[in-house]
This record gives sequence, C-alpha cells and structure tokens, in this order.
Amino acid sequence: MNGYALVIATDEFEKITAASIIGSIAAASDIPVDVFVTMNGLRPFEHEVVETRDFATGPLGEAMLTSEETEVPLFTEQFRDAKEMGPMNLYACTMAMEMWGRELDDYVDIFDGELGVSGFLTKASDKQVVFV
Amino acid sequence: MSEQLTADVTIDARGAGCPGPLMDLIGKVKTADSGTVLKLQTSDRGSVTDVPEWVEKAGHELVETVEHDDYWSIYVQKA
Repeated sequence: MNGYALVIATDEFEKITAASIIGSIAAASDIPVDVFVTMNGLRPFEHEVVETRDFATGPLGEAMLTSEETEVPLFTEQFRDAKEMGPMNLYACTMAMEMWGRELDDYVDIFDGELGVSGFLTKASDKQVVFV
Repeated sequence: MSEQLTADVTIDARGAGCPGPLMDLIGKVKTADSGTVLKLQTSDRGSVTDVPEWVEKAGHELVETVEHDDYWSIYVQKA
C-alpha cells in the first residue's frame, strides 16, 4: 500500500472536516493522499456555499463554525495547507459535476483537476480507499 | 525541571484545535536542521497524546511534555 484514496461522497460538514484532518496529517507526514470528491460531496466546495457557510451541519459542525475559544480551520483551508506540505491531490468527479451543472471554476481553488471513475481507480490502485 | 529546558524554535499554537498544532509542528520540523529542539505550545488536550504518537512514528525524539496552567509545552528534537 502506498497511501490513501479518500472518497468524499457526502455533503455533511463534520464528515468532510474529519476527512480533511486525517488526510492532511497523512500528507504532511509524506504519505500520498488522493481525494476524489463526488456526488453530494461536491456542493460544499462551491464558492458560494463556502462564502456563505451554507453547509449541512449537525450540532458539532455548528459549534466548530462558531467557536470563539478554539480555532478550527475550515476543511477547504485544511486541504489547501496540506497540499502545500505534502503529497495530496484533489479531484472533482466529472459525472457529478455535470449532474450539478458546474465547472471546475465553480469550486474553491484547491482541485488539481477532474476525474472519471477509471481515472480514480487507477490512482487508487495502490492505495487504501477510505469512503466518506 | 521544565524551566531548564531550552528550545531552538518555539511554536505558539495555543487556541488552535486539532490538527492545527500538529500541522504547525510538522511544518517546522520539515525545515529544521537535524538536532533542532522545537517547543510546541498547545492548549489542545488531544495534542498531548497525538503529537508524541506522530513524533515516534516519524522517528524524532520526544524530549519532554510540560504541563502549565492552561496549556502544554511539548519539546521535540528532530532526528
């Protein structure tokens, strides 16, 4: 095995945040990480959703977004920091983008490109897949 | 005991939640020379156990963890 392939298919804020934390520490530790964002998982990465913080949150997510005592970086910032520190790449699912009627420019600027299933499976072939 | 410890680099990550302190430490360790002692100040309770886990796996040395009133100082020497 040579790293992790994280599949983010959920729009739940807490799950995406957890994936960003785990993936970030792995990448910062020089463990290769490929992140494939698909299905509802793409929506929280849209510019407008990020700017308005219009996330699908539960109680913990609300607390994380409003906490004044503890500084918790947004998952987009977490991914961006991780990409600067280690081998992490993010890809948006082409099919899901088409279903949403979106282009790559509609998402925050942390994606390295878009991928189909075959492309993802190729990148994931030597990695442990983690599905969120 | 704790007052005698000296660090070459101090990282003040107090107020930052997981994984901020560890990310800050990793970033500094990557650019430090071998033998450098780094002091990570954190108010995140999880870092007290999580940072030593990373330090051991990464092959560095955990020098000491010092508890203060409302934060911890974790001393790490880069391998």
